[in-house]
Amino acid sequence: MNVKAMDHLDRLENQSIFIIREAYSQFRKVAMLWSIGKDSTTLLWLVRKAFFGKIPFPVKEIYDFRDKYASQWELNLIVARNEDAVGRGMGPDKGKFACCNELKTVALKQAIAAHSFRALYLGIRRDEHGIRAKERFFSPRDEDFEWDYKNQPPELWDQYKIKAVAEEHLRVHPLLGWREIDVWEYVKRENIPVADLYFAKDGRRYRSIGCETCCMPVDSDADTLDKIVEELKVSKVSERSGRSQDKEDDYMMQKLRSLGYM
Amino acid sequence: MRTVIIGLDGVPFDLLRDLAESGVMPNTASVIADGAFRKMLSSIPEVSSVAWSSMITGKNPGEHGIYGFTDLFPKSYNMRFPNYNDLKAQPFWERWPGKSVIINVPSTYPVRHMRGAHISGFVSVDMQKSVYPSALLAELEQMDYRLDVDSQRAHASMDLFLTDLDRTLDARIKCYRYLWDSENWKTFMLVFTGTDRLMHFLWDAYEDKDHKYHKLLLRHFEKIDDVIGEIADQMNDDDLLVMLSDHGFERLDQDVYVNYVLRDSGFLRFKDSHKITLNTIAPGTKAFALDPARIYLNCKDKYPCGTVTQDQREDILAELEELFGMLQLDGRKVISQMHRKEQTYSGPFSENAPDLVLIPAGGFNLKAKPNAPVLAEKDIFTGKHTQDSAFLIVRGFADDSCVPETPSISRVVSIIENCHN
Repeated sequence: MNVKAMDHLDRLENQSIFIIREAYSQFRKVAMLWSIGKDSTTLLWLVRKAFFGKIPFPVKEIYDFRDKYASQWELNLIVARNEDAVGRGMGPDKGKFACCNELKTVALKQAIAAHSFRALYLGIRRDEHGIRAKERFFSPRDEDFEWDYKNQPPELWDQYKIKAVAEEHLRVHPLLGWREIDVWEYVKRENIPVADLYFAKDGRRYRSIGCETCCMPVDSDADTLDKIVEELKVSKVSERSGRSQDKEDDYMMQKLRSLGYM
Repeated sequence: MRTVIIGLDGVPFDLLRDLAESGVMPNTASVIADGAFRKMLSSIPEVSSVAWSSMITGKNPGEHGIYGFTDLFPKSYNMRFPNYNDLKAQPFWERWPGKSVIINVPSTYPVRHMRGAHISGFVSVDMQKSVYPSALLAELEQMDYRLDVDSQRAHASMDLFLTDLDRTLDARIKCYRYLWDSENWKTFMLVFTGTDRLMHFLWDAYEDKDHKYHKLLLRHFEKIDDVIGEIADQMNDDDLLVMLSDHGFERLDQDVYVNYVLRDSGFLRFKDSHKITLNTIAPGTKAFALDPARIYLNCKDKYPCGTVTQDQREDILAELEELFGMLQLDGRKVISQMHRKEQTYSGPFSENAPDLVLIPAGGFNLKAKPNAPVLAEKDIFTGKHTQDSAFLIVRGFADDSCVPETPSISRVVSIIENCHN
């Protein structure tokens, strides 16, 4: 048999699949958040590999790309929506924070409650954001959705705490150890479909995709997978520079504290 | 007829009068001599975000929606930081005709499209989102423009902080000169915020003539006075010059922690005594506070652990007023005024208002601080905000009656509009 040495992407893939299977064997009632972005689509790809092409649990979120692959990959798709807030006219004009909270956080709370999910797979990565660097592969959330990052189970030598008490749910993060460039190299190697918005058009492309009003394209000429990988090797701009809100809170807190306002 | 507004963040009426009379600020003295000089009431609470939001919109927080530097997400105890996107009323530059230049007004970040030029002030995070139009970015980079002094430095080295403060002021002055000439404006607004920083850290250096930094502090005001002279010289007879501060300042003796008081007297409970943040508020809590001293009743249907019903509201407010009315430290009353929601705020966003706002008596500074281990402490700060001693100067108006004897900051816009009519 011709055995090839495992490369970097193989190791990442192996670890992610291991985590996906561990979580499923423990909880059964698991869902996955699909934002249709590159990370969660890569995660979806890995989940299909982990379960040999069959997805034993339902998945969630949006549009043409979504509907095409939802049907092609036979996904059990749940579209969670906070109908009450939508009915009240909630939108970014009511304040971005209120909008995010009502249409994303509250909608997700409702969906978890409605389907009694015990665990969720998410495609977050440590290198996306300072606060995400503190995350665990298996990350508990309490009944209020709170993440107590100062009191998390240690994850040493690949030993994971994968039990959750009744009122908690677990966030499972199989892609935590991946970097942005790993995702793109893997997308290329596996030929994973991703949204067109990631490819440059008229000198701009999206590096990170969220809601329409809260993310901006970055300057780029990378209109192919190869060019995206090349661009990432030299770029000094952060991946989420086009995303509002994030990082700014920490900075504000520090400024207010330095003047004794908090 | 043009309008120029110069803001001196945190400068109290008495201090400005003293510096004008003692010759440190001769140009300000001559503006005062030709105009109306008044002591002005700040917003409630008396912090820059609320005060400047009230100034630029001419509205009270019930109409513009900004009650502090922090607020909570709806139906939660999670803190958020409201910014210019959360301001629910229009600033004057979106209503008045002609182009405006707006430099360093606090709580106007991130900037958006407007007629003219706008560089936002405290707390501005990202330079790209602080400058409109973005073509100005290159010019500002040339000037080494800084959005704000790095106040963190004052905690490590006062000398480094003062050097940085001076550079920030120099760049601000370059920026004003550039925009004064390059834009064809009808309204020009420039806010100096270094004054507030000095008052926070070095109020003692102002009071004590022998203080190591006394002269440096006066030098900062001299530099600003030079700019005021330069601006006054370039104005026409029918132009209006307005100078104001957003709140006053006075000596700070002790910080007093409002949530400590609430916790100590059983109004506020936490789930876990080792993990005290607003996120761990426990059922049974009747009230909690956000900075600086905004008290919210823990109402049913409004907060996750809320139990207070409409029927209980009056009784709890009365208990709180008694509790804080009696609060004493070293034989002195800590609270000078208490403002109830209904009597203080009006408008479509008064629902989100704090139920009770406390204003501290002389020498005391109030902070929310849920996890405070003691009732009161002394930090490195030597000055604290005051609500009743901001100032307003209006020069170039036809009729003295345009400026009331005791104006409040949310009236400044209508005072200017009256002067123009």
